[in-house]
Amino acid sequence: MKVYPIEENCISCRYCEVACTMVHSASKDPVKAYKLEGLLPRATVEVKGAVSLSLMCRHCKHPFCFDSCISGAIQVGEDGKVYLDEERCVGCWNCVLVCPFGAAHPFISDNEKKRHSFKCDLCGDRGFPACVEACPNRALVYDFER
Amino acid sequence: MGYVIVGNSAAAVGCITGIRKVDKETPITVISYEDFCYSKPMIGDILDGAPREHLTYRDKSFFEKNRVQQILGHRAISINPESKVVVLDSNEIVPYSKLLIATGARPFIPPIQGVEKEGVFTFTELSEAERFNSYLTEKGAQEVVVVGSGFIGLEVAYFLAKRGLKVSVVELLERSLARAVDERTSRIVESLLREVGVKFLFNESVSEILGEEKVSSVKLKSGKILKADGVVIAVGVRPNVELAQTAKVKVNKGIEVSTKMETSVNDIYAAGDCIECIDIVDNTKKSIPLFPLAFEQGFIAGLNMAGRGVDYLGGLVLNSLKFLPVPVLNAGLASPPDSSYEVLVNDKFEERGFYRKVVLKEGRLVGFVAVGEIDRVGILTNLIRQKIDVSSIKERLVELDFGLVDLPKWWREEKLKEDRTAYKDWRAVK
Repeated sequence: MKVYPIEENCISCRYCEVACTMVHSASKDPVKAYKLEGLLPRATVEVKGAVSLSLMCRHCKHPFCFDSCISGAIQVGEDGKVYLDEERCVGCWNCVLVCPFGAAHPFISDNEKKRHSFKCDLCGDRGFPACVEACPNRALVYDFER
Repeated sequence: MGYVIVGNSAAAVGCITGIRKVDKETPITVISYEDFCYSKPMIGDILDGAPREHLTYRDKSFFEKNRVQQILGHRAISINPESKVVVLDSNEIVPYSKLLIATGARPFIPPIQGVEKEGVFTFTELSEAERFNSYLTEKGAQEVVVVGSGFIGLEVAYFLAKRGLKVSVVELLERSLARAVDERTSRIVESLLREVGVKFLFNESVSEILGEEKVSSVKLKSGKILKADGVVIAVGVRPNVELAQTAKVKVNKGIEVSTKMETSVNDIYAAGDCIECIDIVDNTKKSIPLFPLAFEQGFIAGLNMAGRGVDYLGGLVLNSLKFLPVPVLNAGLASPPDSSYEVLVNDKFEERGFYRKVVLKEGRLVGFVAVGEIDRVGILTNLIRQKIDVSSIKERLVELDFGLVDLPKWWREEKLKEDRTAYKDWRAVK
């Protein structure tokens, strides 16, 4: 159960990044989410020449982030999904250091009061990942089975 | 009969997790002289005012859900591998079918005159960290000397200085974190600690701890005397191997284990800071006492104890200086030992607040340091782990926008399309 990027279809429009930031914001507004809430996308669009793709947590079968998490904030669910509890996270950055995909990101607020890692949560209770809905070119596919 | 684990930290929790992936039924018993399962790397937070509950790594529900019985507050003192039992200091006898030794490491205390005085502490265990913290408060301590400038020493120094104490760090070598990071990173870290008031004394050591019963000052090799209401000794740790030795388990730089994490004695496994581990960067066996490795080794031990044959891939140095406002991460080799290595640097620390350096050997990445901007550096860690040829993209490795699009297409096919992310899929490429 995860989002699969199809690099052949990606046109690096970054709609996935915008949709991601918006649904994870309090305001549900893309501009406010970025400018006022300081939120960053959990999907990363990478571009090199003609190749581009959108990358988010792979919910690895063996998640190194889970091994390395010192606070217990990262857990693997019965469903095989990798969960990161941002409230419990202490911002030790071990997951950032070991994620082979670079899909766990550091967050430090401007006043340094808040620090925690964040990553794709498959949109949690929303039921369906917003990035996949937003993608205009079927470059992101949500697979329930795999 | 069932599984028995001595120790209750990262390796133990990894082991429970591994066993329960395969075997949901057989009872597991954990033996630990400490009173709960807390996160060792987080004990520094005590100095920052955190309550001990904040340090909980796995709570009661984890042990209940995994059907683990905990015997807490008692030390395992010996193992009899013939009758397959562990003997506790209460004389209780705990039989095992498979045993994991996860006894960790303890601080090394150099033979300094006066080191036994009241007010001298180490900082690797919660109870001692708490005693140190109350000692400082009760005595109204104002000046503290930290001996050693590794990750623990610097964290203690940082938190105490932030509390307004006068802190001096005494270091034998010419810079901080000398064994972990390169000189540039050491200097950046030192400048960040000086900003909160920490003083450094390099090429210096403590020759005597002075005071009657309690420490009052320390005398340095140079003859200088520093007033000290408390002293923290943080010059590294040594594997706890004594329990293993009661079972005649083979010990070198730590407990010797196979790739299945089994010791030289049948049905006795070992994981975590008490073992010697293969460093995949230089293929030598050494003690690498780090949390992520301990968990992973415990996990692999657990899988094997429960009968699923899985080989440990080996470890590598993974450090994060987690207490600073500026993140500092490194993996593998930060300073090349000789000229056969290639080094690339992107140093914009003064202008833009970041520094990145990679170390290569024969076209493979063997280490990096990232300061300030750390997003996505795990990709670099994996390049070290998988020993992927990066000679054609080496200049890109130090760029902040380095990403998976820079990697070979076969890698993306395998990892993203085919979803090959199981443990064995992270082996070095042929």
